[in-house]
Amino acid sequence: MSSKTTPLHFNAFVMNTASHIHHGQWRRPDAGQTEFNDVNTWIDLAKLLEAAKFDAMFFADVSGLYGDADADFDVYVTEGLQIPSNDPTVLLSALAVHTEHIGLALTSNVAQNHPFNFARQLSTLDHISNGRIAWNIVTGVQDNGARNFGLPKLTDHAERYEWAEEYVDVTYKLWEGSWDDDALIKDRERGVFSDPSKIHKIHHVGKRYRVEGPHLPSPSPQRTPLLYQAGSSESGRRFAARNAEATFIIAPSPAIAAELIADTRRLAVSYGRNPDDIKFFQGLSFVIGDTQEEAEAKALEYEQYVSVDGYSAHSAIVDKTGRVYAADTPLKDVDTNTAKGFVEWVSQHITDREPIVADLALSRSRDTRIVGTPESIADTIAEWQAAGVDGINVINWVIPGSFAEFADKVLPVLRARGLAQSEYSEGTLRQKLFGQSLINDRHPAARYRGAFSDGSPISQTYVEPIEAKS
Amino acid sequence: MTVAPKRLILNLFEMNCVSHITHGLWRLPENNRQRFNDIDYWIELARLLEAGGFDAVFLADVIGAYDVFRDGPETALREGLQIPSNDPLLVIPAMAAVTKHLGFGVTFSTSYEPPFAFARRISTLDHLTKGRIGWNIVTSYLPNAARNFGHDDQIAHDRRYEIANEYLDVLYKLWEGSWDDDAVIADKENLAYSDPGKVRYINHVGEHFSVAGPHLSEPSRQRTPVLFQATASKAGAALAGRHAEVVFTGGPTPSGVQKSIAEMRAAAAANGRGEDAIKFIVQAGIVVGRTDEEAHEKLRLYKQFSSIEGRLAHASLPFDPTGHPSEITVGEALRREGKADLPFAAFLPVDQTIGDFLVTIDESWDEQFFVVGTPDIVADAIESWLDDVGIDGINLRQYHSFGTAQDFIELVVPLLRERGRLRDAYVDGETLRERLFGGEPRLSEPHVATRYRGGKNLDNPLPPLTLTPQL
Repeated sequence: MSSKTTPLHFNAFVMNTASHIHHGQWRRPDAGQTEFNDVNTWIDLAKLLEAAKFDAMFFADVSGLYGDADADFDVYVTEGLQIPSNDPTVLLSALAVHTEHIGLALTSNVAQNHPFNFARQLSTLDHISNGRIAWNIVTGVQDNGARNFGLPKLTDHAERYEWAEEYVDVTYKLWEGSWDDDALIKDRERGVFSDPSKIHKIHHVGKRYRVEGPHLPSPSPQRTPLLYQAGSSESGRRFAARNAEATFIIAPSPAIAAELIADTRRLAVSYGRNPDDIKFFQGLSFVIGDTQEEAEAKALEYEQYVSVDGYSAHSAIVDKTGRVYAADTPLKDVDTNTAKGFVEWVSQHITDREPIVADLALSRSRDTRIVGTPESIADTIAEWQAAGVDGINVINWVIPGSFAEFADKVLPVLRARGLAQSEYSEGTLRQKLFGQSLINDRHPAARYRGAFSDGSPISQTYVEPIEAKS
Repeated sequence: MTVAPKRLILNLFEMNCVSHITHGLWRLPENNRQRFNDIDYWIELARLLEAGGFDAVFLADVIGAYDVFRDGPETALREGLQIPSNDPLLVIPAMAAVTKHLGFGVTFSTSYEPPFAFARRISTLDHLTKGRIGWNIVTSYLPNAARNFGHDDQIAHDRRYEIANEYLDVLYKLWEGSWDDDAVIADKENLAYSDPGKVRYINHVGEHFSVAGPHLSEPSRQRTPVLFQATASKAGAALAGRHAEVVFTGGPTPSGVQKSIAEMRAAAAANGRGEDAIKFIVQAGIVVGRTDEEAHEKLRLYKQFSSIEGRLAHASLPFDPTGHPSEITVGEALRREGKADLPFAAFLPVDQTIGDFLVTIDESWDEQFFVVGTPDIVADAIESWLDDVGIDGINLRQYHSFGTAQDFIELVVPLLRERGRLRDAYVDGETLRERLFGGEPRLSEPHVATRYRGGKNLDNPLPPLTLTPQL
């Protein structure tokens, strides 16, 4: 076993909206997230994060409202719970020009854009940012989101991942196979900008998509952006094991994270990849004090802003008509379709009084929360690393305060222990994480390199996901 | 009493690629076009245009390769003819971040992508730029684009415009109808970020789209971006009459342009809109020098670098005149290629010799809205286009980046200002719509988009635009 400490990676987990994860906190006097429509909110934050050597800004996104698409949406709108929210894609370009090193990750659902145009957008961003783009591949969790794209409801879970497999397959063909490395000649004398023999149509024919190509942009620094995935279901993990280079997990404890990580790494190996081809990022939020007492007092103060309705709505603690329960509703009267296990778990842990809905919200707000001094927080982070985690997605209470505080107080301690980087290493986002700019040869995208160069139409190249060997 | 002279709308015509319109010229000394992948290109350009008083940069786009000429994309690839090309929406935030006033007209097609994500992307851009976004509505004409999005071939021309009409209807519902102005209250005491009574589903169900809403972005300064449309066709005029605020048009002769303007004004009037509800811009080629000699020397250089093959491929010419003897006629060449009976043959000058045909194409520099000369000559020409032809503005064609814009700014802008054709300075905080039309940042009645304000008419869809025979 090596005694040398490896620095962890740190991402800022954010969303282009007022109430992302910690609902109710937008009411704090120091909450800048209410100004999310203003580009300067994000430019200032990006600069702050880059000065603190954060690895990336990770933008979550949705394509509709949470909850029952037939019920009223009052609670989401009232809470500012991811509505109003703006598109992250176009925002990243503004951030790219105001920064040099920090990675920029965006979330995009396979339903929201056609893969031909989406692949072009990401290549454009990768050009603009000099290779700092990551894509968090999601398949959607919202019925309302599906209805915004012409579907009656969310597509069945397994089918969504099958859809996603074809979607990424189209993008891999465009990113990796359509243009050879030396296709751009830029020969002024002969008037030849690109060499046509080195650019190829992809002729994708699959269940949902038929895409001819060629890809319109020339190869960007990373070609395929760094690929994130965040699903934790069985099909989600299989998808991650096959396609993701980084996954975002919210495990309740280091021990559970360790199991999840080992399991996903095993799956990755069964798909012909190496165990460390995937990096794991745990989501955590922090309440930081100079003493433990100060930190505890601050945590209590944050809790005063907790919105019970917001956490209930986000975790689908709703009645049969899709409405949230009053905060003082006893848990024994809560009847929910989707969060039964959680309700039972909270009920079992409160034994001295009648557990109520507000307890659920408080429990949710404490889920990923680490309260402590910089030293004790660093201890906890080291425990997560020991469990196999490669990085932390820092979940915020307020923008920019939560990140500024983490940068000022915790990062120096982590650096002193070798747990956080002091300087950026050179190169693209993938180079910084994996030591090379292009996706490695074991990844399914790599098989399209040179695959279309004989000029013959390669149709029906879509292959069903390989079943993992158990 | 003197009437104030008509003010020129001044846009730079751009595209996120090497060779947009003036093929072969990327090779000109010190031309920056090869840097289009580099965001610094766009930042420098944006700063230059704002310092020079341009109203907007107009970003063209295509979503396929030009592969009709010589039955493949090879010529386009060699020429850098709009391939490689990048997404135009994504360079806007970078340009907006280094400017305060410059507007953006960005092209996006209504034919292949769902409207919901696009509506949100435009709202986000309008927020990011504080109301400086215009959208150039196109329906896409490249067969390869259709095949990139799952179709065997292009959707029939008029059908594309019918789809565009419903696409716009969905967008208006999202942009204008889904949120009231006072929906966002950010009431910290009572925990109410938005008032649910002022936000609504749109529940659009039409022939082509089904979209629930609500819109995810709150209303931006302009709500609906300034609606540009690039068209000269009949179906295009029908769509423009109902929707467009600025039409980018053209025609082989000034009288052709006037006819097309008159048609669209009539279409606007038929939709209850005022005579001047639409403004018209054309693509202008301007080669200016301090002296006549200097200007003509520039033109000579441009012609020397110009590529006729680029033009032939750009025109999607379905036969290859360069492969035939110059003395035979176009008709004979078509016969030799077995294409004489194909429909496009009717649009070609079949009696012209191949040699003359190629010369005509090579000299299409001298089409209308082209002027070469001293600043005075250029300013005179622009005034004549404004007053005699009746256009409202230009998309300035680039021969050299950034030389064309720099020349115009240095030599022509001061004269146009002297003559009252360009404003002396920007107005702080003005949206693009206010700059172009005066008045309000948002669309005003009787534009059809306004029918959804306050959630009215969401269950009463816009009548379809019927252009194709109904079965």
